[in-house]
Amino acid sequence: MDLNVCIVGAAGDGVKEAGELAAELFAHFGYSVFVYQEYQSIIRGGHNASIVRMSDREINSHRKYFDLMICLEDYAYELYRPYLRGDLIYDTKFKCGGIGIPMTEIIKEEQEPNIFRNAASLGALAAYLDIEFDILERIFSDRFGARAKDDITIAKAAYEYYRSRYDPKMRLEKIGRRKKLVSGAVAIAEGLISAGLTHFYAYPMTPASPILHYLIKKREIVAYQPESEIAAVGMAIGSAYAGKRSATGTSGGGFALMAESISLAGMAEIPLLVIEAQRTSPSTGMATYHGQEDLYFAMHPAHGEFPMAVACPYSVEEAFYLSAELMNIAWKYQIPAILLTDKNLVESYKTAEIERTNLIEEIEIVKSSEGEYMRYEVTESGISKYAVPPAIVKANSNEHDEFGITTDDASVRTQMHEKRMLKENLLREDIRDRAWKFFLKGKDTIVTWGSTFGPVYEVAEELGYRVAVPRYLRPFIKPGLAHAVVVEQNYTGQLAKLLEMHGVEVKRVNKWDGRPFTPDELRELLG
Amino acid sequence: MKSKIEWCPGCGNFGILKAFRRVIERLESEGVKRGRIVSVAGIGCHGRMPDYLDIPTFHTIHGRVLPLMTGIKLANPELLVSGFSGDGDALNEGMEHFIHAAKRNTDVALFLHNNQVFGLTTGQFTATTPRGKKTRTTPAGNPEWPINPALIALVSGATFIARGFAGNVSQLSDLMYDAIKHRGFAFVEILQPCITFNNTWDYYRENVYVAEPAESFDEALKLVSDGVATGLLFRTEKQTFEETLLNSLRVPKKSCERDMRSREFHSDP
Ligand SMILES: Cc1ncc(C[n+]2csc(CCOP(=O)(O)OP(=O)(O)O)c2C)c(N)n1
Ligand code: SF4
Repeated sequence: MDLNVCIVGAAGDGVKEAGELAAELFAHFGYSVFVYQEYQSIIRGGHNASIVRMSDREINSHRKYFDLMICLEDYAYELYRPYLRGDLIYDTKFKCGGIGIPMTEIIKEEQEPNIFRNAASLGALAAYLDIEFDILERIFSDRFGARAKDDITIAKAAYEYYRSRYDPKMRLEKIGRRKKLVSGAVAIAEGLISAGLTHFYAYPMTPASPILHYLIKKREIVAYQPESEIAAVGMAIGSAYAGKRSATGTSGGGFALMAESISLAGMAEIPLLVIEAQRTSPSTGMATYHGQEDLYFAMHPAHGEFPMAVACPYSVEEAFYLSAELMNIAWKYQIPAILLTDKNLVESYKTAEIERTNLIEEIEIVKSSEGEYMRYEVTESGISKYAVPPAIVKANSNEHDEFGITTDDASVRTQMHEKRMLKENLLREDIRDRAWKFFLKGKDTIVTWGSTFGPVYEVAEELGYRVAVPRYLRPFIKPGLAHAVVVEQNYTGQLAKLLEMHGVEVKRVNKWDGRPFTPDELRELLG
Repeated sequence: MKSKIEWCPGCGNFGILKAFRRVIERLESEGVKRGRIVSVAGIGCHGRMPDYLDIPTFHTIHGRVLPLMTGIKLANPELLVSGFSGDGDALNEGMEHFIHAAKRNTDVALFLHNNQVFGLTTGQFTATTPRGKKTRTTPAGNPEWPINPALIALVSGATFIARGFAGNVSQLSDLMYDAIKHRGFAFVEILQPCITFNNTWDYYRENVYVAEPAESFDEALKLVSDGVATGLLFRTEKQTFEETLLNSLRVPKKSCERDMRSREFHSDP
């Protein structure tokens, strides 16, 4: 069973929430669920869509064509109609053929605002799928607690209305235990916490904001929104200097503002974790849409040479583990580390098993010293022991000697710069055997990165391709490939170019319209 | 001290360094370990301070002294966090941080080396350069009106505002000490002659005077506007950013309460 449901309406209609609740409903029956949220940079009006796909096999993407569309506004209907290949449930306040439910009338009767039509649409959905109402009721209660009463009343009215006029179209059977639904943002945040995050500073920017929203609610984390991205990254560096695992998160524009401070962390050897959630670019681009255009920018974000790690999760589960892994790397090597992700991964929801556990890899931290501590001691590995106040530790953005005192001395510079750079080699060896993930068997290989993995994997399985995904982009480990098809969401083929530089012959498959690839589109392009 | 001091002979920064070294000694004599006195500095001639101080320091990038200080204080409220910044550093490149740090009353002390020019980049105009002054980048005279940093600190919500003079080391040292002990955002503007690009020694020696602190905000507005009034100009009490934020969380705040409520420096972590 594989069902792709699209709920559309205006911003302010509660479409996003309806999608999440529909997903909860499917997850209750043990299905694998993926939710893609499409919305505009508008608070009221415009058009929003929540595409909820469920399947009895593991999925990481939505589909292009809808088996069912639930529509709350007529103009949104016009926009999304070309993708409808099945039934339509609509609010009878406007006219079109399909399963009409008087959603507006129902909420008027209950004297509730327009947004409650999302509850009505869920009631209709439950009836359409022949689900016992109790189950939907429980989904509402789990989410809203005592406040769920009004939603339940409205959903029930829509449910009954449906049953009095239409037959259910299918019957949803339980195929397993209730699955948990997680967003990419939550997976990242939980991964960071598992690796010891205590301080998070971020300036709101789509699509990274949900990470901040989630962490700000955690009472054991100091999370704060300062005056700008420059302040956010500076605070993260300050907290790390004082010994606390910290991070910041933003998208391309904010990341650009952080560039100078990333270079500072490189020079001062401060562990810094930055989440860069890509969206369409350049500049403000389409603020709420998807893209993968910042690969080179993330790999080389700032002036000068310094060791750095860049990693990119390809699924919600992986976002959890890789965030933790990267935090540990930042501390072990005392370097800036960038988690490069994308809108489709951060803002999508998925059924995933994520348990917060202790994933901290402790490092030795010196906390007291007799006189000035030799913070930048030249060692064979390039790693000097980390120290934090009250040790008398000097961090410096200028070139410095082993104590952190400013210097222009040629030989000290030569030695100190080499000491820092050595760390990237060490890191390269450390990550070598986890830098790539390979899936499936096949003659040809598709290489992709980030959330594009979801639709690629599905189609590769059908068409008989092997799939290769880089987890680490820097240090970049050359995959053992002579040729590959590279699928990514940018114009130039950024990963493709990187592979070419490493001698791989590539064929590019690109898309840059702001919408994530769907398996349907890829099937046409790769079949 | 290992490093040779590299300021121009006659620079006002020598007085500031001397004053701050006295602060360290004074705190140490009260039982505060040096390791708890943390200072951040920006980029400019003032940014050399860390090299000359035997305490934990962070010499950061131009304009970003305050975010670093805030991050340090939030990570470890037991530290006494102060920072050195230039007028270019804090008021050109770092103005947003300056206003916001004052607004949130973060519990740190900022010492502004106000020499009214960029020193390190050889004498260009800054936010505090007097109107009409000829500098390398205003050869026809500065077309802009200068900013009064203490006034900005006051209207932005700083709870301790003082002005010192690099030529009066003992007064300056007392002001810096009080600023560090103050609960909340403490700002000390330091009139610092730059002997090379803006030699104001004679002018300040003749004109600075010691004022009595203002009793009210309105009075303070007037007092801080007088750019040669020195001493503590205004002081008030307000909950600090760290207290507000950390007290609402379940993070280790025992330490910050001890430090922030009673300013007892005798126990060390
Ligand atoms: C982002 C950035 N822009 C410019 C500079 C160059 N720069 C170094 S010091 C300085 C001005 C310093 O002036 P001020 O803060 O007043 O300090 P002073 O040297 O007078 O103590 C400038 C512009 C820099 N280091 N970084
Ligand atoms: S240039 Fe001015 S501020 Fe810089 S060291 Fe020389 S006198 Fe001091």
